Amino acid sequence: MAERLVGIDIAPPDLHAKITGRAKYAEDFRAPGMVFAKLLLSPMPHARVRNVDARRALAMEGVIGILRADEVPSREGPREACLTDTPRYEGEPILAVAAVDEETAAAAIEAIEIDFEPLPFVIDPLESLRPGGPNAYVDGNQFSGQDGWSDLKWTDADFATIDDGGMPDPSCPVEWTKGDPDSAFAESALVLTETIVHQSLTHHPMEPRSNMCFWEGDTLHAFVSTQSSQQTKFALAGALDMDPENINLVSEYCGGGFGSKIAGTTVMQIPALFSRKINRPVMLRITRYEENYVGRARPGFQTWLKMGFLESGKCNAIDLIVVQESGPYGAGDFNTAGMIADLTYTPQNMRFRAVSMYTNTPPKAAQRGPGGAQIISMMEPILEKAGRELGVDRFEMHRMNAPGPDVEFGPRNATLTSVHAVEALDQGRELFDWDAKLAMSGQRNGSKVTGIGIGLSPYTAGSRGRDGMMVIRPDGKLYVHQGIGNLGTHSIADTARPAAELLGYNWEDVEIVWGTSSRGYPRSTVQAGSQTTTAHTRANHAAASDALRKIRAVAAATMGGSPSAYRVDSGRVSGPGGTMTLGRIAERAIAMGGEYSGEVLPEDIHAQTVPAAQMLAGEGLMGIARDNYGGDGNIYSWVAGFAMVELDTETGVVELKEYVGVTDCGTVIHPRSLGAQVFGGSIQGMGMAMTQRWVFDPQYGVPFANRLYTARPPGFLDIPSDLKWGAVDIADPQDPVGAKGIGEPPVGAGAAALTCAVADAMGGQCVCRTPLTPDILLAEIEGRPIHGRLDQHVG
Amino acid sequence: MELWRRAANPWGQDVLIGVSWDLMWAAVVAAGLFLAGHAVWIRTRKEEAHDGPTDVPAGIPEKIERHSFAARAFHWVMSIAMLLLLITAFVPVMGWQFNWVELHWQAGVLLIATVVYHVIHSIGWMDFWSMFQLGVSEGIATMKHILSPKAPAPPKAGKYPFDHRMYHHVIVVVSLSAIITGVLMMVRIDTPFWTRNPYLFSDSTWGVMYVVHGLSGVSLILLVASHIYFALRPEKRWITWSMVRGWIDREHYLEHFDPAKWVVTDGAMKSADGGGSGAIAEAAPSARRED
Amino acid sequence: MAKIRDMIPAFELFQPTTVADALEMLDEHREQAWVLAGGLDSFDWFKDRVKRPSAVVDLGGIEELTGIRDVENGLEIGSMTSLTAIERDERIRSAYSIVADAAQHVATPQIRNQGTLGGNVSQDTRCWYYRSGWPCYRAGGNTCYAAAPQAMNREHCIMGRSRCVAVNPSDTAPALIAVDAKMIVENNGGPSVYDAEDFFIGPAIDITRMTVMEPRDLLTRIYIPATWANADFYYEKIRDRGSWDFQLVSVAAAFRRSGDTIEEARIAVNGVAPFPVRLDAVERLVQGTTGDEATANAAGELAIQGARPLRHNEYKVPLMRNLVRRAVRSVA
Repeated sequence: MAERLVGIDIAPPDLHAKITGRAKYAEDFRAPGMVFAKLLLSPMPHARVRNVDARRALAMEGVIGILRADEVPSREGPREACLTDTPRYEGEPILAVAAVDEETAAAAIEAIEIDFEPLPFVIDPLESLRPGGPNAYVDGNQFSGQDGWSDLKWTDADFATIDDGGMPDPSCPVEWTKGDPDSAFAESALVLTETIVHQSLTHHPMEPRSNMCFWEGDTLHAFVSTQSSQQTKFALAGALDMDPENINLVSEYCGGGFGSKIAGTTVMQIPALFSRKINRPVMLRITRYEENYVGRARPGFQTWLKMGFLESGKCNAIDLIVVQESGPYGAGDFNTAGMIADLTYTPQNMRFRAVSMYTNTPPKAAQRGPGGAQIISMMEPILEKAGRELGVDRFEMHRMNAPGPDVEFGPRNATLTSVHAVEALDQGRELFDWDAKLAMSGQRNGSKVTGIGIGLSPYTAGSRGRDGMMVIRPDGKLYVHQGIGNLGTHSIADTARPAAELLGYNWEDVEIVWGTSSRGYPRSTVQAGSQTTTAHTRANHAAASDALRKIRAVAAATMGGSPSAYRVDSGRVSGPGGTMTLGRIAERAIAMGGEYSGEVLPEDIHAQTVPAAQMLAGEGLMGIARDNYGGDGNIYSWVAGFAMVELDTETGVVELKEYVGVTDCGTVIHPRSLGAQVFGGSIQGMGMAMTQRWVFDPQYGVPFANRLYTARPPGFLDIPSDLKWGAVDIADPQDPVGAKGIGEPPVGAGAAALTCAVADAMGGQCVCRTPLTPDILLAEIEGRPIHGRLDQHVG
Repeated sequence: MELWRRAANPWGQDVLIGVSWDLMWAAVVAAGLFLAGHAVWIRTRKEEAHDGPTDVPAGIPEKIERHSFAARAFHWVMSIAMLLLLITAFVPVMGWQFNWVELHWQAGVLLIATVVYHVIHSIGWMDFWSMFQLGVSEGIATMKHILSPKAPAPPKAGKYPFDHRMYHHVIVVVSLSAIITGVLMMVRIDTPFWTRNPYLFSDSTWGVMYVVHGLSGVSLILLVASHIYFALRPEKRWITWSMVRGWIDREHYLEHFDPAKWVVTDGAMKSADGGGSGAIAEAAPSARRED
Repeated sequence: MAKIRDMIPAFELFQPTTVADALEMLDEHREQAWVLAGGLDSFDWFKDRVKRPSAVVDLGGIEELTGIRDVENGLEIGSMTSLTAIERDERIRSAYSIVADAAQHVATPQIRNQGTLGGNVSQDTRCWYYRSGWPCYRAGGNTCYAAAPQAMNREHCIMGRSRCVAVNPSDTAPALIAVDAKMIVENNGGPSVYDAEDFFIGPAIDITRMTVMEPRDLLTRIYIPATWANADFYYEKIRDRGSWDFQLVSVAAAFRRSGDTIEEARIAVNGVAPFPVRLDAVERLVQGTTGDEATANAAGELAIQGARPLRHNEYKVPLMRNLVRRAVRSVA
């Protein structure tokens, strides 16, 4: 009997290489004749290049060439090019220089005489909304594909209200309403109106987005840092306007992306184009400093929230306005924020308004739980505040407002495949010992006050309809071809496990094929939105089912009897005609050809899968299928975070004493990895709540927190050593495996548990601004002024 | 030698940030050379014979008031302010570090106060235009005489000889440049009166302002050094003393001034603003107020 | 000139093995020389290409600069002794625990392994305007960007400003002042001894330096006199994160008591001024008291007299007050 592969801890196949340092990230590759490129970054937040004189640089010994903006693809409107002569943020790449070594390339960059015309810029979106305020673009601050540019300003009356601390009634490009919020507010026993600011913060993956490229004839070999593998090949081909099949994309390891490298990166185009121009391999090593600029950031929110509650504590109405700081090229967080607010508090009556404002700050992009993490971190303390004011236990507030399986949310009444948020809360209550902790809430020990809080955080956790592809070769092993990326989450292996289990394989006989596109990938998801676990356990399950069918058919054809009478286990197939090894079955499948060896492919597989399958045809028994399991509703996972903190009222320092995260993410495939995701995401959220931020000088529009020590992601001493996690472990009923993704929701849970716990320690007073650094908390405690309370990028 | 100090502003644009401190050293050296040169030159210059006073107009007293107490007070307070400004501006650059900023702007405020006082005083209580007579022919004659001892001595002056007037005008221009730019630069430092704001003007405009201020300061090294030098020279001490005592004696008056241009009448020591020395005032006849 | 970061420009590296050689090299290269201790401050500057010395004198090979020695009436610490060694040294931990405590609060274990005591007290300020290579007063320019009306100055000073509003970043500096340490600075002309509090200078004295050390100088030893051995110590550093962070405000205090009464005290605060501030008046106030609540409160209030916060660092005033209070309270 083969071992069970789902629900147990198995060391991932890349572990050894990572621990021994043999893992090769994009920056570790070399090619004969390789040169190094360095970037010239814009010194201004918005400018136009008037003149570039690179003669001195190009005359330097060892300098190979220069790549300018007019040599790279560009698009109209607020869209990013990999190089530009109209930079829209300080740090945007203007040009690249290649030289035999980086020192020479750097010296050459310094030797370039470049003249910029400074243009008006905006760092804080509210400034751009003010009448007469500056815009991030010369042509306006709003863009639509149909109407082009426009200039959106709120009224003086709106800003008079804002400046008085009230909730404005502005016009917003995005607006939807459900139910009848006004009537519902009239029926509310309690209405809370708050102004809340959530900061923008960078992704800061450990591995910067370095890339190396070279050409062999028409074939591009690209060594990139990306979250997704197969989809990045297509993204790069699209950007370069070339045949994807002429790209060999190598992406064996990725040192984190958190949403900033979903289908690769914009800068990956630079070495590809530069290499073609100078006909030499080009390495573009992105430094930490450069990563800070080109590495993306989570959009900040300035939010006005009105929340109505019935006597029972049930939220019955929400009015939410979100101003999003979107950087120069936009981001979609605000849409998700509205959806998640509706989903988490199920008010039935909701009005959502949002405006995405272009700003001259480094580009924004999805960051782990985009939109959801921010809004949960901002709204959960308000929910708890309502509990305090209504005299309802805060745990009960979360529980009663959490959705059930029949939930409908968002403007189009979206539904869920399954939801066990309440079970996650209940399990967390036990694990955290909420009742005992509640007694400690507000207790003072010298200058320290204990606070506890809960954050319940949902996020998308899956998609459907991808392709799975695997080959059983004559060596008897199962080769699972994974087009997803290997960004450290173990999904590269874990999504193959249910398939291997279905085929009765022992894990030692399973080979994961990944990292180099020339080895053949099926159509895969982008590794984002926590889709991968669901999408590819399903797709691989489908392919394994196809393989199982074919094994039985080959066995029956070879040994006689009915295919359905054959059982597969531990590398053998046994039935009425006898037993064969799967290696022999693979040989037979090759001999039989047709669909068995992949010579004939299913008609419904994606066109992107076909070339890879054709390449692998004839090498063994091929299991290949599209995920046709179907399903209704959105796939969401949940994490309930529980935190206990001590706030030192004399210093404003918060110490996290305990944290518990319990997730509803369906079937648990890999417990240890799941725990790491719950902790990792939660800690990322804690950094968001407590320490990380951008800081810009408003006069010059230049950011400062551009080193890890100034950006302040949380460190080892910022968390207690005994974090706890749990999982509801209830399979999603619409899924053959039942697993849902887990990457995103812990961030909101970790952040919100802390924003709530800190508010609790402050006696229920919500500072309504993150990060909750000691200066803000102490100033609040002392009643001293906090300047720029509504501003973005202060810190 | 560098003339300007330049720097890349936060946007990487090359902007002026001030004069080069080489200019300070150049001014110090130039002042030294000028003083030494002048000292040597004056020794080698043939002594001119001056005719003594021939016809002493009637009614010229022994002591003739040249500077009222108010004018002297202004001069010395302004001198202190100016010296403080120069010391606080340049000594730290020369290497002796101390907390100069507060003292510098406070001395600057004192200078401005004295200048305002002086302007009001000179317009309201002094013969304002005596300082602003053009005197082209007097100037040419003076220059010729300086260049060649053979040239005839320039005609005797009114109360303010040509060189005094020229020095005054130069110092007015230079000081006003320093004051105007200095006042604007005070926006950039903390004072009890306002919060600093370095962004009132663009980086390049500030750069020009710093250069003007710096050039004025460097010029003042030369001007003040030469002024002190001449004040200390033996042949000029009689007039230096007048800035202490307020009066000059009749001999110097008749030797250096044209009584027609600087009319001295009985009661010259009686100060219009009451600032004169009572004891002398009683003894001295009055001169027409021209100071 | 276009700006580029994270790439150290070439320099000539000197690796002397004796202090005498090092001093000779410093004398030879004067303003062009850069003294390299642990490199945590230096390499940041070099990587950013903001400071570009032509000659770097690496002290790492000078054995005589490393180690903690018993000397008459105290301890002598070589300036190149690692912060980890100071943190772990039994003599320091038992008699001058405040110094070990302060060393332990520096950044991270990795940085403490590499960082030295001499480097920690000699490091440059972390004002981000200055570190970004902006032409501020400290960098020889004509502006303090950090004190502009809208500037981001949460980490900057609330006292002791003079055009520049940066703060001294050293964790060990206030502790060394509290134990009345002496800094031995040598150059080719011989050694000079400075009280720790005089070793640090403010912008009013010289806006381009944080310490008395001039180009030819080398901090060779730090002497801790036995005067304050085994006193009652209090050290606290407030920072945004649990590790790898400079202080927002830190306090270091030493109290010598007779029974319950404070006979003598030395208290220093860092993170509030361009130099670590010794609180003489507070020291006098607490002498003869028991460090009771009323004294502690009065000490806190006295400490912040004259504090002038900037736009974003108002919080430092109560933070400093509270830390001084806590330090005094710790005695009672």
